[in-house]
Amino acid sequence: MSALTRFAGFKGHAWLALAARLYLAWVFLEACVHKIADPTAFAVDVATYGILPLWSVNAMAHVLPWIELLAAAMLILGFRVRAAALLVGGMMVMFLAALSIALAKGLDMSCGCFASTGAAEDPISAMTLLRDAAWLALALYVMFLDRRPLGLDRLLEHGRSR
Amino acid sequence: MSVRDAVVVLRDAGVVAGLSLVAAVAANAMRGEPFPWVAKEAYELFVPCPEPLGEAVPLVPDDPLVSAERTLRVDAREAAAFDAWHLRGAWSIPFDWIEAVPEASVRKVAGSGASAVVVYGDGGDPDCGRELARELSGRGVRNVHYVQGGAPALRGQPRDAGEVSP
Repeated sequence: MSALTRFAGFKGHAWLALAARLYLAWVFLEACVHKIADPTAFAVDVATYGILPLWSVNAMAHVLPWIELLAAAMLILGFRVRAAALLVGGMMVMFLAALSIALAKGLDMSCGCFASTGAAEDPISAMTLLRDAAWLALALYVMFLDRRPLGLDRLLEHGRSR
Repeated sequence: MSVRDAVVVLRDAGVVAGLSLVAAVAANAMRGEPFPWVAKEAYELFVPCPEPLGEAVPLVPDDPLVSAERTLRVDAREAAAFDAWHLRGAWSIPFDWIEAVPEASVRKVAGSGASAVVVYGDGGDPDCGRELARELSGRGVRNVHYVQGGAPALRGQPRDAGEVSP
């Protein structure tokens, strides 16, 4: 039995992935609230990266927070967990790319991930990249190793199997 | 994960993205003042260019270095504030929060022959005097200091005759 198979077969993944699921949900709930409440401020944050064309900045500021909210809700409820983890992972890849470009440009700015605090209080840095990379790793962990110990997916599976 | 599972996951993710779009449209329609979906004008962004910042030593207003003969005093406030009041012999180099200090000004300070440079600003938070001092230091000027509390804290220091204190 290979090390990878042994790792995948570890029974503790069920509960570790549940903890990761709830943690990611909390992060994304925290992140989406201010963006939904104040799309103007978030649009400025998006524009500050200088990556997206102007016509798409506001649309991104409108839709992205709702994807964060729905993904977080799905992670909490245990509903379509893999799809939620895929969305979270996809967003993390996008954020990592944007942050890397901003850091390469030497921009002195806040990441805009949570309530806007400004560059002076929450500047982007290599630590921001590491943090997002860790969250990406958690999303992948949930996507591939969540065993649905609790949640709607499990209930639905039981319902179907009867 | 099988190919079938992957397709289901992708489909579900697409559905969530679609629902998010619907939710965003609905939420925006319910706002008193809907936020436009397409920006009409470019955003005015305040992203300071990364100027090299160095070390600047803080000084209390009555530090002897502030009034020392061989000290170059630099006023970082705007020209109008400088005209209204400034320390005797001070040079005016208004600090701009967006633009870098002109190279000519940095060269002039560096070539002044002063043994120390003492910068004072508006004493705000952040203080333009501290920022100018750090920028001058980062751009090669040595022995740069700034006055804590800036011009307001310097009241009572000698000033040019006939001018009004702030």
